[in-house]
Amino acid sequence: MSRGTGAGYDRHITIFSPEGRLYQVEYAFKAVKSAGATSIGVRGKDCVCVVTQKKVPDKLLDQTSVTHLFPITKFIGLLATGLTADARSLVYQARNEAAEFRFKWGYEIPVDVLAKWIADKAQVYTQHAYMRPLGVVAMVLGYDEEKNAQLFKCDPAGHFFGHKATSAGLKEQEAINFLEKKMKDDPQFTYDETVQIAISALQSVLQEDFKATEIEVGVVRKEDRVFRALTTEEIDQHLTAISERD
Amino acid sequence: MGDSQYSFSLTTFSPSGKLVQIEHALTAVGSGQTSLGIKAANGVVIATEKKLPSILVDETSVQKIQALTPNIGVVYSGMGPDFRVLVRKSRKQAQQYFRLYKEHIPVTQLVRETAAVMQEFTQSGGVRPFGVSLLIAGYDDNGPQLYQVDPSGSYFSWKASAMGKNVSNAKTFLEKRYTEDMELDDAIHTAILTLKEGYEGQISSNNIEIGIIRPDREFKVLSPSEIKDFLEEVE
Repeated sequence: MSRGTGAGYDRHITIFSPEGRLYQVEYAFKAVKSAGATSIGVRGKDCVCVVTQKKVPDKLLDQTSVTHLFPITKFIGLLATGLTADARSLVYQARNEAAEFRFKWGYEIPVDVLAKWIADKAQVYTQHAYMRPLGVVAMVLGYDEEKNAQLFKCDPAGHFFGHKATSAGLKEQEAINFLEKKMKDDPQFTYDETVQIAISALQSVLQEDFKATEIEVGVVRKEDRVFRALTTEEIDQHLTAISERD
Repeated sequence: MGDSQYSFSLTTFSPSGKLVQIEHALTAVGSGQTSLGIKAANGVVIATEKKLPSILVDETSVQKIQALTPNIGVVYSGMGPDFRVLVRKSRKQAQQYFRLYKEHIPVTQLVRETAAVMQEFTQSGGVRPFGVSLLIAGYDDNGPQLYQVDPSGSYFSWKASAMGKNVSNAKTFLEKRYTEDMELDDAIHTAILTLKEGYEGQISSNNIEIGIIRPDREFKVLSPSEIKDFLEEVE
């Protein structure tokens, strides 16, 4: 006579529950939301822009050291939403992998190859009991020679997809609803439009207007393939453009 | 493969003699998107639904049907990340066989080795079974073949099979429609009709995937425009 919940460990390590679910993976998703921040990514015609909240919990903290935006190589960026410690571990490993790839094969790692590597690593944690899944959703962005602008999202379950636009974190679903409406007819946004759509999506979903110091913006574009975080002045310009538009 | 701290198996027998983790894995497969395969007289077709979580997802970045060798393809129902791991391992095994024997791996051997990997994960320390069932389609010197591999590692050769959410309706439909001397193009039409039966919403060339293998022994995934042609023939 088998008992309903098995040995009861299905909530503690990544083994199957009776309904065929992995509770630890689902809890990892909850951990991403518990960090309290929301992130948005939008892919335009020839550029990608990612935006996230910059919550500095204590005035005594050095603001410049608080960041969720990490360059992995000169040309690929990663926006991590969720537990910051897990994010740093992931970024460290991703940087290592990208550097090894460049050394081994003689060319820069493509965005989708790196995204797949991150997702495959996440899958290992969902199948092996000795490591828990990471509480991070990673948005990887870059400009590929053959496939143009690319935005990938990798989650704790090991899924990864390319996106025209996406979101992660606390208000993920609201943001996706907002973005679905904007991207419905497959528009090909210019650089300025992409950045402004991303920022205004965040503002709309969180229902507050931001100051330039309260958000982080990262971009990659055809004209300038290096991954860059925008300066406070540049963010200000876009915020002004948005408020003038409305 | 045992993981250091976990040198005991997580999949153990229940008092009634069942391996519950495998049963739960099968439940995970049963809640996955429907996929099916049909073996015709002159080829094999495999197909699956491709429902993406949002219209914002770039559907060209996702391919559920994958080639393992030039003459063997595979589709799954269940957990996508687990599928990627199996595809990678199977491809490596096929290459190792070729390196050793200078011949392409026969379909049955690749199926057997993939199934062995899946079985290992039901017995090794510190791991859970794979949450996928695979349909492996191939064409070699033994003709067209279709195999289904389950999370337990057991595999069977099928004339036609289905997996995932709509499995019972799909199998009933296939049982009615299948004939031994079916041609590949008929099989493709039947596959599309079977998918259509259980599809919630409107089927189109962007939300299904079809892979075929003809007597030329080249596995290929159909492009959306090729799928569109077949869809129009079915209407």
